[in-house]
Amino acid sequence: MSNVIEVQGLTKRFGSLVAVDDVSFSVRRGEIFGLLGKNGAGKTTTVEILEGYQSPDAGTVKVLGVEPKDGGRLWKDRIGLVLQDSDFDPGHTVAETVNLFAGFFSRPKSVSETLALVGLTDKANVRIGRLSGGQRRRVDVALGIIGSPELLFLDEPTTGFDPSARREFWTMLEGLRSTGTSILLTTHYMEEAQHLCDRIAILATGRIVAEGTASTLIALSGSTSLRFAHDVALDIDAMSSATNLSFRVVGDTLSADLSNSQGDLLRLLHYCEAKGIVLDGLEVVRPTLDDVFLDVTGEPS
Amino acid sequence: MRFLRLTVRQAHYNLLGYLRSARTVIFGVLMPVGFLVLFNSVFGGKFKTIPVDGHDISTIAFYTGGLTTYGVMLGTFTGILVAIVGAREAGWLKRFRGTPMPSGVFLAGEIIYLFVTSLGLIIVMLAVSHFGYDLSIRADALLAIFCYTVLGVFAFSAMGLALCRVITTSEMAGSVGPFTVVILSFVSGVFLAPNLLPQWLLTFSSYLPLEPIVTGIQHAIALPTGSGFVLRPFIVLGIWGVVCFVIAQLTFTWEPQRR
Repeated sequence: MSNVIEVQGLTKRFGSLVAVDDVSFSVRRGEIFGLLGKNGAGKTTTVEILEGYQSPDAGTVKVLGVEPKDGGRLWKDRIGLVLQDSDFDPGHTVAETVNLFAGFFSRPKSVSETLALVGLTDKANVRIGRLSGGQRRRVDVALGIIGSPELLFLDEPTTGFDPSARREFWTMLEGLRSTGTSILLTTHYMEEAQHLCDRIAILATGRIVAEGTASTLIALSGSTSLRFAHDVALDIDAMSSATNLSFRVVGDTLSADLSNSQGDLLRLLHYCEAKGIVLDGLEVVRPTLDDVFLDVTGEPS
Repeated sequence: MRFLRLTVRQAHYNLLGYLRSARTVIFGVLMPVGFLVLFNSVFGGKFKTIPVDGHDISTIAFYTGGLTTYGVMLGTFTGILVAIVGAREAGWLKRFRGTPMPSGVFLAGEIIYLFVTSLGLIIVMLAVSHFGYDLSIRADALLAIFCYTVLGVFAFSAMGLALCRVITTSEMAGSVGPFTVVILSFVSGVFLAPNLLPQWLLTFSSYLPLEPIVTGIQHAIALPTGSGFVLRPFIVLGIWGVVCFVIAQLTFTWEPQRR
């Protein structure tokens, strides 16, 4: 079996609100799959159905070959969960808490190995009440991976992390992937999805509006553009007609979409060379996942 | 075997949390001991004996039995209510639910831990009365006191569990719990001698879950002969406990409640 998650036509309603609307996707063994979307797009509802906390109204869901609602102890032994928000008893140390959870699983990692993976080795004997928000989140992750899961669910794991903590966290997830753990990740950080995920599905108002690898999605959406500093002496119309590019003024920069990067750039450079124009701060910009997201959801992330 | 091992681990984990929290130790041990010293110094000189259910017992025996039971109820009923509602609110129960832990382990771990802390409280209270106020307790009665403790922890935990569905926040649990215990104590011969209460109230409280066990323990401590066992507390608290467990079984939820 190569897919750890199979979702077909998943639908979930709360009263008149359709939180998840005919969603289908699959996650392959060994990959990091990202579910992206704004708050309220249906990410957490989808994940909670996959985790067995909620029942679907329609559609079929298989996680490790089992319908999550029927997932018993043997099934739970094979998955790891990091929920969106949960708190701890502040009076216990990190090691005590992780050790308690180790007892629940049939083939747990050692506590010291787990703490090393999440970067909490030097906090092992510190009470959880004295940890920072980001460190507590790592305890969450430690509890999610202590059971050596085949499949790990991470619901917005890096919310509240500072940039360096986020980088370290990514490295940790890449390490887990290299040991064969499949990961389903939800996030609203585009950079995170672009960096980590083998494949991505973007959810908007309960529907999948785009799916693929980060580079496929980027290639499908918006084009590469160029930009340089705007000089008031420039004759923009003349430049446009000579190069066949349409320039936009954005603040103190000029930018233009490129349909054929090499040819467009060459024409512009020839023109400037001939006219003796110096392009200050010229750069060619590839679209990011942020632009894709804007494109398919019609709103900023 | 695995269930037992996990339950012991869970109880140990809870016990660590209890011992490290100033709040639980102050409310769980210092308050009942403080009351014992206070009530005994105020009334110990005034009344030599207090009549309880047909027997005149010494004032120190009255307060030792009553306040110990009060402490056990405060610790278990409030303790389990605050622990479960708090753990549910924090998403801790939901997280447990997602692991292969058998669902009974969490509950069994709570109850065993509450039993251990209750036994600890009883030992402290009896020691204070014995060494501080010359209360002598017959070795014969210790078995009865132990069994009353088992009964009390069972019934009071069940009552706490049964309320978990309607008490939605830990803030609410922290006030409803102690309030219920104090009100019940006033009508159950803990703070006030039963002969000060009107007959209808005495009759009423004899069906409530505190008075029968208070009287049972007071008699076990004070009476010079007999095993200390009375059937009435086992019937009344047994029924309360079983009914509340059934209610808890039917209404218990692991998910955080929306306010």
